[in-house]
Amino acid sequence: MVTKRVDHKWGMVVDLDRCTGCQACVVACQAENNIPINTKEYFQQRRAYEWIRIERYWEGEFPNVKAKFIPILCQHCENAPCEPVCPVFATYHNDEGLNVQVYNRCIGTRYCSVNCPYTVRFFNFWEPVWPERFRNQLNPDVTVRSRGVMEKCTFCVQRLRRGEVNVERRGLEPLTGERIPAADRKLNYRQMKEGNFLPACVQACPTNALQFADQYDETGPVKEYFDEANEQIETREHGGRVDEAHTRVYRLFEEVGTKPNVIYLKKVEPFPVEKA
Amino acid sequence: MQEGRPLQSKQINRELLVSILNSPKWFFSAIGILGFIVLVAMGAAGYMINQGFGVTGLNRPVMWGFFITNFVFWIGISHAGVMLSAILRLSKAEWRRPATRAAEILTVFSLLTAMMMPLIHTGRPWRTVYWIYTMPFIPYDYARGIWPNVRSPLVWDPSAVYTYLTSSILFVMVALIPDFAVLRDRTTGMSHRIYGLLAMGWQGNPRQWKLQIIAGILLSALILPVFVSVHSIVSWDFGMAVSVKSWHSTIFAPYFVVGAVHSGVSAVALVLIILRYIYGWQNYIRHEHIDALGRLLIVVATGWFYFFVMEVIFGFYGREADEIAVRNYQFMISPWNIWMFIFVGLTYFVPVSIWLSRTCRRNLWIMSIACVSVNIGMWLERFLIIVPGLARKQLLTFDWYTYQPSPVEWIIIGGTFAMVSMLMLTIARVVPLIPLYDIKEGEILRTEIKIGRVTIPAVFRED
Amino acid sequence: MWVFPDAALMSQDLSVKTRSMPQLFTLALMVSGALFIIGIVGFVARAATDGFSEIAPWGYYMAVFSLIFMISSAGPLVVVAFRFTKSHWRRPLSRVGELFSIVCILNLLMFIPLMFLLPDMTNPDGMVEGQLFLRRTIWFEGPIGSPHVWDFLGVASLTITSLAILWVSAMPDMAESRGTATGFRGWVYNRLAGHWYGTKRQWNTQKAGLALLGAFYFMTVIFVHFEISSDYAQSLIPGWKDSIFPVIYSITSLQMALGAILVTLFIMRRWGGYEGYIGKSVFWSASKVLLGVTLLWVYHLFAFFITFWYGRLEVEQNIIKYLIVETYGVVFLVNLLFSFAAPFALLLWNPVRRSAWGPALAGLLVIIGGLAFNIRIFVGAANAAVGEKIYDYFFEHVPSPVYPDIWDVFMVVGGIGAAVFVFLAATKLLPLLSLWEVKEGAMYQKWGTFIRGEYMILAKPE
Repeated sequence: MVTKRVDHKWGMVVDLDRCTGCQACVVACQAENNIPINTKEYFQQRRAYEWIRIERYWEGEFPNVKAKFIPILCQHCENAPCEPVCPVFATYHNDEGLNVQVYNRCIGTRYCSVNCPYTVRFFNFWEPVWPERFRNQLNPDVTVRSRGVMEKCTFCVQRLRRGEVNVERRGLEPLTGERIPAADRKLNYRQMKEGNFLPACVQACPTNALQFADQYDETGPVKEYFDEANEQIETREHGGRVDEAHTRVYRLFEEVGTKPNVIYLKKVEPFPVEKA
Repeated sequence: MQEGRPLQSKQINRELLVSILNSPKWFFSAIGILGFIVLVAMGAAGYMINQGFGVTGLNRPVMWGFFITNFVFWIGISHAGVMLSAILRLSKAEWRRPATRAAEILTVFSLLTAMMMPLIHTGRPWRTVYWIYTMPFIPYDYARGIWPNVRSPLVWDPSAVYTYLTSSILFVMVALIPDFAVLRDRTTGMSHRIYGLLAMGWQGNPRQWKLQIIAGILLSALILPVFVSVHSIVSWDFGMAVSVKSWHSTIFAPYFVVGAVHSGVSAVALVLIILRYIYGWQNYIRHEHIDALGRLLIVVATGWFYFFVMEVIFGFYGREADEIAVRNYQFMISPWNIWMFIFVGLTYFVPVSIWLSRTCRRNLWIMSIACVSVNIGMWLERFLIIVPGLARKQLLTFDWYTYQPSPVEWIIIGGTFAMVSMLMLTIARVVPLIPLYDIKEGEILRTEIKIGRVTIPAVFRED
Repeated sequence: MWVFPDAALMSQDLSVKTRSMPQLFTLALMVSGALFIIGIVGFVARAATDGFSEIAPWGYYMAVFSLIFMISSAGPLVVVAFRFTKSHWRRPLSRVGELFSIVCILNLLMFIPLMFLLPDMTNPDGMVEGQLFLRRTIWFEGPIGSPHVWDFLGVASLTITSLAILWVSAMPDMAESRGTATGFRGWVYNRLAGHWYGTKRQWNTQKAGLALLGAFYFMTVIFVHFEISSDYAQSLIPGWKDSIFPVIYSITSLQMALGAILVTLFIMRRWGGYEGYIGKSVFWSASKVLLGVTLLWVYHLFAFFITFWYGRLEVEQNIIKYLIVETYGVVFLVNLLFSFAAPFALLLWNPVRRSAWGPALAGLLVIIGGLAFNIRIFVGAANAAVGEKIYDYFFEHVPSPVYPDIWDVFMVVGGIGAAVFVFLAATKLLPLLSLWEVKEGAMYQKWGTFIRGEYMILAKPE
């Protein structure tokens, strides 16, 4: 069992109003997490690995066509459907709110992917191969997966751990290296930004569409949104109705009941496309 | 129901043991061909394990395809053994006599074949072997105190299937004891010694017969709950999935069980017709038996159809857009709707129309066509539940895709059929596929009564 | 275990029994009649206080309607099923099951108020944000007249078909007493069986008619169970999408009907003077079927439960909380105990199944269990989403239980009493034993002794 050292609960907010669909997050994730290179063949076989992917939907008729983008990544659901079905406990929920994938336990039954409503779990259909010159680019903090193993977004847990080790255990400020007194050793948002402990996609996003922090951290950008989302749940539970027209906060597939730890903010439409 | 001529004990022994005591030439060529197919399939599986799952047609989102369909199909076939053996034994139906042994053996082999499928369909089968096959002795990752996740339906599966396999093997072995004794007394050398070991000192005295009958009844009663639970648990592989809406239906358990009985009993009927032909067992597998199986199948097929209609109606009932998308894919979009139409026709309308006619039920060619049609239809049924559900999972249409099986998958599926056929043919050389003592008991219990001027056949039964 | 009534004596004995009104019988008739009146009082009072606009106050009425419906519709089903499998021990119980069809008439009358109570399929507020425009029903877009017309047609066709089965089956018996019967009975016998002479052709037609009507009835019953259980239970709880519920409903009906038949047979044997006709073999064999159906019942219930419970989805957890764990938790426990645990524990034992009281007691237990089933489902359904909440997508807030008030108690007790009253009255019209079937059985059977044992010859026409 994971012993709880400190109180974190990681959450991400995706602001669809800011997302331009540039795919910088996809590339950053691929670089950070040793994701195999997607060849044309993989893409055509529908086996491309994109731990975070930008889904593009077309709206409207020519000439008023609009493209809508939504980045979809592992939602790290509190009530994850992928977790109870793994026969070998290769995926489980840790105390920090992360849905964790343990590569060396995975035997590749693929039930977790079948049961994931967001289809964010990827299976290694082939043995990943990097050409010789690319091997120096691999991140030493992240395992390289073999064929037959499931993988997915981990919220760059290796960066979170490095942050926790440096700030909470060693007690060093990321930028300056000063000692932090023992009482204040809790990783906060500023330290994460300064020390590059945020996930790669969040770091790479040019428009700050992706925000990531501890849900309990008052200085972090996500707490207000999670508070609002939790309020929505409370309202519904007591038989009330949520005024969806006056809030931007929502979660994907809320009605399925997975309780995701990723919140989406609706895109604000200045010139809404005429609905037929 | 007693259409055959009365048979003498010696004749029964000679005719039913013909498969064991003789070695016809066609046997070796048949085993050769089937064995070759099995070897090719094993090669294909080896290739797949070596290269990775890329050689199959699986993709994201359709992560389960032919292999899982085949797994469920063979588990389904295995249900015939219990249906015919246990239920008919407990209800004392006379017409079960020739069918029980073949059904039970088919059960054992189809279960073994079915268990091959979860092994090779996992991404890292070398670890799955360690986990599934050695679990009782060396549980996976035991050193870290992490046992298999009993909340996962994939752990319920091997528990149920192994229980069923163990019970079925026990059932078959106990039922075989008197027949092994007959063989022991008719062979010499090594065969004699092995049969002697298996016959466990059977002398045929009344005390042993009494114990044998009690054991048969007890095993029949005890295996019934196992029989119902196995396919229910396999169906819950799909039923427990919350993301694939068309799978998350409460009716899956009884639906799959009835479907399994349907395909299993049809498979046994087919096997009986084939055995009658290749071994010349016209005296034992008579038209009346196939007739009775046909009538049983009408009831089972209609029950299956009811569950199927319920499943589809309640699929539309929920009016959830993701499930409607799956149903739309299944019923409206080509080629899936064509497969759907073929499947319902082959599973229900074609066979039941055949079985409703007495002439057709007594014509063995037509019956074998009906039984093959049922099995093709039921294979398609599992396929059409699994793949469209995954192809249209949830409303992220960006991720919708389809599925095309690859040659590797076809070869491996063909290999499983060849393996079961090969195993059945091989075991026919070792074990009589029609229970000798059951037939002899039937002969002893049958008699004729004169009522007035008419002589009618009769059967003795104990209440 | 076997009884072979003498054919000649049988007709006379049974016609005496049908005509006579012994004290115990009259007492039962009066008590059930009084309960019938109490039921009517409860009904009228409820109608006066609450009217027919809202379904919520009528939950207990729906429950008792469903109880009577389940037993009366599945009674002939049991008989049809046993005839189909050519079970030789069914002969004493077939008329008892067929007589349930007269209770079907009461059932049809009880159904009529329910048609007014069903909320509209279309949302009267039109397209509202966060609500369904069309309530979830099995009728989807709603063909003309649905659901009321189809539901009524379903229940009516069940009544008509089961009465037809009763008529065809009772024709030879009515014809036998046609000369001697007087009064109303005589009039009915002459009208309905005036042309029956027992020719070979008539017997063959009767046999074929029973088989065809039986097959048709079987399919109709399953369909109408599906209709009623979906319209009056499943559709009324938003978000309850359960494909196995019609199956559970049919299985509970079968279980209760078989139980009711066994109870009736026991009463006939013990107090009715029928022990010369009803041997223990009926109980021995029918109790095996009851055991099997009980196990089937708990299996289907578990299949429903595990599928809903596993995924921890809120909408499904709410349904489980409502119907099983929290709101109607106590009623569910009673249901489980009486529909499964107690009958199972009772029927496991050979000596119990071999007796007459054992299966009858098990039958009584399953009827009580069935009452608990109907209460939790139908009272639950009527009160789940009151008012415009019936058009919600999902069941988000689990309501609290609704306890019966005095009129509800009157209606439940009265409904059961009414059914018993109608059945008892029907037994005075037609003999409780299917004479021709039992006589046919006696012709097919012959008994003898051999050394120290006894044997029976049983002919089975194929």
